Amino acid sequence: MRADLPNIHEIWVYLSGSPLLALILTLTAYQIGVMIYERSHLNPLANPVLIAVTLISIAISALDMPYAKYFEGAQFVHFLLGTATVSLAVPIYKGLPSLRGRWLPLSAALLGGGVTSIVTAVVIARLLGADETIVGAMYAKSLTAPIGMGIAERIGVSPTLTAVFTVTTGILGAALGRYVLDALRIREWWQRGFAIGIAAHGIGTSRAFSVNPEAGAYAGLAMGLHGVIGAIAIPWAIALLR
Amino acid sequence: MIEGLVLILLFQGLGEAIGHFLLPLVPGPVIGLVLLLAFLTWSGRVHEGVELVSSAFMRYLGLLFVPAAVGVVMFLPHLQRQAVAIAVALLVSVIATIAVSALIAKALTRKKSDAG
Repeated sequence: MRADLPNIHEIWVYLSGSPLLALILTLTAYQIGVMIYERSHLNPLANPVLIAVTLISIAISALDMPYAKYFEGAQFVHFLLGTATVSLAVPIYKGLPSLRGRWLPLSAALLGGGVTSIVTAVVIARLLGADETIVGAMYAKSLTAPIGMGIAERIGVSPTLTAVFTVTTGILGAALGRYVLDALRIREWWQRGFAIGIAAHGIGTSRAFSVNPEAGAYAGLAMGLHGVIGAIAIPWAIALLR
Repeated sequence: MIEGLVLILLFQGLGEAIGHFLLPLVPGPVIGLVLLLAFLTWSGRVHEGVELVSSAFMRYLGLLFVPAAVGVVMFLPHLQRQAVAIAVALLVSVIATIAVSALIAKALTRKKSDAG
């Protein structure tokens, strides 16, 4: 037995030095997250990203692996964020015909919703004494995470916190959206979907699709348009205010 | 599929270059997105390869930001100290955003149908 120990140790040192371990960890944790999400009948609270992040955090602290080391391996997944952002053009392109005849209510909703999401989050966080690291990560939290993190880099705030607030926002929006919309007596599926997409990006969109295809299509369109407009408007607005 | 990926990567590269040299405030991939959108509108259809790559990315979008989000382990004490402020801000903000967006869409639609 004793003779085996150095071998296991050597294998371990070898594996943890290569990107493989972090990649396997990331993909396995996400796959477990997806399985739990599907078993839960797509309950937004069983969000695959939330599950994956929790599992990986536990695993890397149990393995005593510093985050920088983990990221070194997982950056191959991370790199694809930019490519995924570019491919968002396809769902937006397909959704454009849905704007026809509804151009005014949709663009006004997008503008009003986008401003509301930033102002409410920033003002409340400041009033309750959050520091600037936290407040800064609130700006892009209603945008789809790949775009929001790109904005975070441009405006000099933490992409990590932006991603975490984004996922939290998505889960809250997907879980609570229907109650808000019911209380306000919003009955049209396209209006319900579009509102969810503005506020809760991809997580809200996947929820909307599971309820009604028209709501899902409009949610996806809202998420894409909000992402593009936010990416152009937020950095400029912040540069002007500073 | 490969040609679709190449096309998307080319638009990404173009976007990153324009972002770097001309529009430093806008994330490069978003410029790539807008250029690809313009290209799709111009060509009037979505190339099969682009379609395949895009639907794969959309399906697993969540996976891609897991590595960055795991960085939350480094912020845990920070987040715990300000948990109440964060929770209230995120909760109120998402409810207000859904409400305002939906009410604006509904109000402007009703006006139109009343007129017509």
